[in-house]
Amino acid sequence: MKGLLTILRRSPRAAFGVGLLAALLLLALLAPLLTPYSPTSQAFGTWLKPGGEHLLGTTALGQDIWSQLVYGARLTLLIGFTAGLVATAIGTALGLSAAYFGGRTDEAINVLINVFLVLPGLPLLIIASAFLRGGGVWSIILVIALTGWAWGARVLRSQALALRNRDFVQAAIVSGERPARIIFAEMLPNLAGLIAAGFFSTALYAVLSEAALAFLGMGDVSQVTWGTMMYWAQARGALLQGAWWWVAAPGLCIALLGTAFALVNFGIDEVTNPRVIHEARATRVLRRNRAAPQAEPALEPPQPLLAIRHLSAGYVTPQGPVRAVRDVTLSVAPGEFLGLAGESGCGKSTLAFAATRLLDAPGVVFDGEARLAGQDLLALNPAELRRVRWKDYSLVFQASMNILNPVLRIREQVYDAMQAHGVQDRGRLEARARELFALVGIREDYLNAYPHQLSGGMKQRVVIAIALALEPKLVVMDEPTTALDVVVQRQILQEIDAVRKRLGISIVFITHDLSLLVEMSDRIAIMYAGEVVEEAPAHELYAQPKHPYTRRLMGAFPPLEGPRERREGIPGRPPSLAQDIPYCPFFERCPNHLPGTCDVFKPARVEVTSGHSVACFLHSPAVKEEAYAAD
Amino acid sequence: MPYLLRKFLILLLTLWVAVTLNFILPRLVPGDPVGAMIARYQGKLDPSAVDALKLAYGLNDQGGLLGQYFAYLGKLLRGDFGRSIGQFPTPVSEIIAQAAPWTIGLIGVCTVLAVVLGSALGLYSAWRRGQPLADALPPLALFLNSMPYFWFALLLLYLLAFKSSVFPLSGGLDPFLTPHSPTWWVSLLRHATLPALTIIVTSAGGWLITMRNNVMGVMSEDYIAFARAKGLSEGRILNRYVLRNALLPSFTAFGMALGFVVGGSILTETVFSYPGLGLQLYNAVTNLDYPLMQAIFLYIALAVLIANFVVDALYALLDPRVRDGKAA
Amino acid sequence: MPQTEPHARSTAKPNAADEPAPALILEGLTKVFQVGRSGRSVTAVNNVTLSIGRGEVLGLVGESGSGKSTIARLIAHLHEPTSGAMCLAGKPVPRQLRGRALTRFRKDVQMIFQDPFASLNPLHTIGYTLARPLEIHGFARKGNVQAQVSTLLDRVGLSPGASYAAKRPHELSGGQRQRVVIARALAARPELILADEPTSALDVSIRLDIMNLLLDLRDQEGLSMLFITHDLAGARYMSDRIAVMYAGYLVEIGPAERVIGQPQMPYTQLLKRAAPKPEGNLNAGGLEAPGEIPDLANLPPGCPFEPRCPHARAVCRAGLPRMYDVGAGHQARCILHDPELAAQPLLHPALQPHATL
Repeated sequence: MKGLLTILRRSPRAAFGVGLLAALLLLALLAPLLTPYSPTSQAFGTWLKPGGEHLLGTTALGQDIWSQLVYGARLTLLIGFTAGLVATAIGTALGLSAAYFGGRTDEAINVLINVFLVLPGLPLLIIASAFLRGGGVWSIILVIALTGWAWGARVLRSQALALRNRDFVQAAIVSGERPARIIFAEMLPNLAGLIAAGFFSTALYAVLSEAALAFLGMGDVSQVTWGTMMYWAQARGALLQGAWWWVAAPGLCIALLGTAFALVNFGIDEVTNPRVIHEARATRVLRRNRAAPQAEPALEPPQPLLAIRHLSAGYVTPQGPVRAVRDVTLSVAPGEFLGLAGESGCGKSTLAFAATRLLDAPGVVFDGEARLAGQDLLALNPAELRRVRWKDYSLVFQASMNILNPVLRIREQVYDAMQAHGVQDRGRLEARARELFALVGIREDYLNAYPHQLSGGMKQRVVIAIALALEPKLVVMDEPTTALDVVVQRQILQEIDAVRKRLGISIVFITHDLSLLVEMSDRIAIMYAGEVVEEAPAHELYAQPKHPYTRRLMGAFPPLEGPRERREGIPGRPPSLAQDIPYCPFFERCPNHLPGTCDVFKPARVEVTSGHSVACFLHSPAVKEEAYAAD
Repeated sequence: MPYLLRKFLILLLTLWVAVTLNFILPRLVPGDPVGAMIARYQGKLDPSAVDALKLAYGLNDQGGLLGQYFAYLGKLLRGDFGRSIGQFPTPVSEIIAQAAPWTIGLIGVCTVLAVVLGSALGLYSAWRRGQPLADALPPLALFLNSMPYFWFALLLLYLLAFKSSVFPLSGGLDPFLTPHSPTWWVSLLRHATLPALTIIVTSAGGWLITMRNNVMGVMSEDYIAFARAKGLSEGRILNRYVLRNALLPSFTAFGMALGFVVGGSILTETVFSYPGLGLQLYNAVTNLDYPLMQAIFLYIALAVLIANFVVDALYALLDPRVRDGKAA
Repeated sequence: MPQTEPHARSTAKPNAADEPAPALILEGLTKVFQVGRSGRSVTAVNNVTLSIGRGEVLGLVGESGSGKSTIARLIAHLHEPTSGAMCLAGKPVPRQLRGRALTRFRKDVQMIFQDPFASLNPLHTIGYTLARPLEIHGFARKGNVQAQVSTLLDRVGLSPGASYAAKRPHELSGGQRQRVVIARALAARPELILADEPTSALDVSIRLDIMNLLLDLRDQEGLSMLFITHDLAGARYMSDRIAVMYAGYLVEIGPAERVIGQPQMPYTQLLKRAAPKPEGNLNAGGLEAPGEIPDLANLPPGCPFEPRCPHARAVCRAGLPRMYDVGAGHQARCILHDPELAAQPLLHPALQPHATL
């Protein structure tokens, strides 16, 4: 019930469908109130036009068409719903059994489903009804259900198979649950949306099939349904008499009923499969003063390659904005390897994607600037951005199964990045692709492979090769090796390190694995609750972490050597980023917090020793001025 | 290729199921099936037609059910579908041979047009999500897809043939034309327009929704985010990344959709008296011409199965994962 | 930071004669999967023999595809072994279990899954999830199920238990969910817990808490545990002994300190060199092992690590090396421990070994 309400609230289309369905149901239920006449009474004049006594006129036999329409709704809906129910029951039972029992049972059911899917439904229905003529409404319902169950069964089987391998089903099996309970208490409730969708689809099929059979004169034409109404209209030549409404009204009702079913389905799908669409647009920038402050005078002698200043970014949700990145200032020098570390949800990925304008909606940049070699990325229009991307900076995403297009050869996907930026000569493309593959340690013949022929580690090497294709000055890497095994991870990291030293590129490397970062980075920034709380040269951060959070994070990795002693994690969880945090975000979890200070004021990040800055009152009393007011 | 072999075996199995259903259905009628049929003709039946009917159902054989079944299979394999009762004594296969080209031509052309039109609109609707027209398309498509075929056909007939006689009321060709002459072609096209319009309008909606869902699914994939990051042009992303991947699931949907289109075309042909298999089937049903009815069903099933198999083979060509025997 | 010694028990072992039977013995456990419809077969677990003592934590380490999770699923009877024998607390367990015998078996062996977001049914309350094993295994008397559920939740650090019981999984954080999963495993009062990467889906700041909870429960309840992980440091933190798997084979097993401190199989050495070490340098210790884990459907004829191994000799290609005793309770599957075989010339001199045994 709660699920239904959510669907209605989130999907106007589904709400409209439910409304339409309810209206048609009411038509059927309230038929005696809506018309004074019996649908079968032939007491009126024939071929009367709509209006007056007879809202939709009368038939060739003198029946009231409006009465037929509202009473006809009853049997039409009954056939639709019953056939839908029977077909859904068959489909659900078979789909679930196939998924639960697997093996031969699954194979047999799958073949059965495939057979019924391609067997043309209506012709089969027609000959079946021709032989079973005179069986009445119930035989029609049965025949429709028997020809229409396979579609729902197919979808349900594939979803149930996925569900069967979900850990919570496995966990229920391990805890000793019996098959019936696993099917009905664990799996079935999680398939409710799908089963409902299947029901509405088959109900639509049933209504259309009944209408078709009736129209061909194969059903029980003495009963009043929307289908038989059209049969009689056609048989009596309604259109030749110009009585188009006799045909139009029942057909329109069927189409509306079908639309209602389909809209409900559409809504269920919209709500149960929410998708992050990778939009064409660049990340929206809501910065207020578009006249960006003139580039601040370069403080450090080597001008930073990437300068992020007072960047605030996050997500616009129906519940209000979530500030995942809060007033972050960070810079990357040419050739530098900057590590960005923090727990999941601390905003490290949002920061990287916002600064490079790759954050998908509902992500937005609230304020701040991100300058790459002096150019403000947040001020560029999409076309300019597309030119800058990959040429000036590139990105390496987390190694996922689908990071490469499954239907294109690797070669084409290496080429197209270069072609998009003006390299057109086949010879140059080929030479560069080979060079890149040698650089990241893959055999050249993999250029001809398709992505599914590569292991996860190889795919990630390809992605890195593509990222280096145009020799960008900056490569942003978001957890590039997290999904990989340790040995492959280490091999790839060594290659990244060698490449960046050879080419002199800067790297921003995002990960939750601090121990890995210490080994690789020149400098490390620690993020917590959307803020950079500490920043220092890697080895200094490792030797002398200052922020209590950094200290505890360092202690959270058990060592490979030394005494085996008990260590503690960090109790508690970070504050919600949907709220304002006008105090130290870590104070609730901090064992050293100063009551009356840390929970009242927000510490400013201050350079306490050369190149080592920290935002903590234990190290500096500086209070941070809030740059933004609550929206 | 194991994938195609498997698909072929399923084709054979489905064909066998269709054939067997055909054998069983008449025998589901309680009592003596031929007797029941003859009773329905109320004595209007030629005695030789009665014999033909008995022959068609193998009821003159004294063997058991199994014997009848094998005799029936044997006759099918020889291409002997018996004689029509309604147009006695024309062999059923002759009637089918005459009607089939009309239906195959109509459905073949319409399906291709509907797929192209529906998919293009579906792609547009997903790609330009948020724009008024793109967002208005799906509900419209759902409505068109929910219309009964024959109802829409009747409305077209009423408006464009009866009221304004832009198109002919019925039939497939005007009589007495020289085949393949320009006037013959014009007549052919004029007769086919309304049936084609019916099939295209009512089935393109389904393709629109399928394609839209596929495109939305593809657009949430990581490789699209990566392609955008690479700075590829919109056209390239649309063509090589979105379309190539979104078309693939449409192929799997094709089999199911084809069954619906064939069903729809039966009704459409009936309304326009278009001389194809659908009209023959309708006539067979009204004349209680059981042998013709069953043969048409088998023929349609076979045609749909073969079309499906061809599509499966194309799918294997387009998806490298299927080619390598991995599930897509 | 208060530091206690968590690995203090089980040092003084009773004499071998009156030692109780190990919690679990696996003898030649093998699992062959048929892949898809092609009839290809994949050997996920290959003739694995090992045991877990009472109250012992055995760490099972390996990369993805090494068969470590399959072993847990075989023990838990989620898959049926292709061959091999298994003894639980001294009693043989039939390969095929059905009905009551299976339910009794399930009571004794419980499993903790990797991803707490996936291993709790989103539609059930925590109370329902925890009450089910109590009901199935007959611990629930009328009226006291609620109380038992609360006690369970308190025991895993979710207090007050009663308030957590009414929640649904989406209301809890990752760490809290994993505590619920652990409570569910404890509910049946099992002898053996199979923990399949219980911390790798969690945030670093929570991992230690979950590991500490498991260690505390082991100490309090005397549970035996199979702790599966890909993280050597985590395995060292948790385990009394460590077993290393590669491509379905057990390649090294021994006391945790020894296996991590002085690994005796080239693959274990590779794993150790690849592990992140903040004090080290990225490029210290080359990774002289090109390539990746072999295709399980097409394993090399001899040692599975031979194609990548810098120390490989011709004999490594000829047949699977046996397990050699390399120290107290420490075994490794490597011919380098046979002086005669180790004297043969190198098979892949190009791999340029830096590390020596």
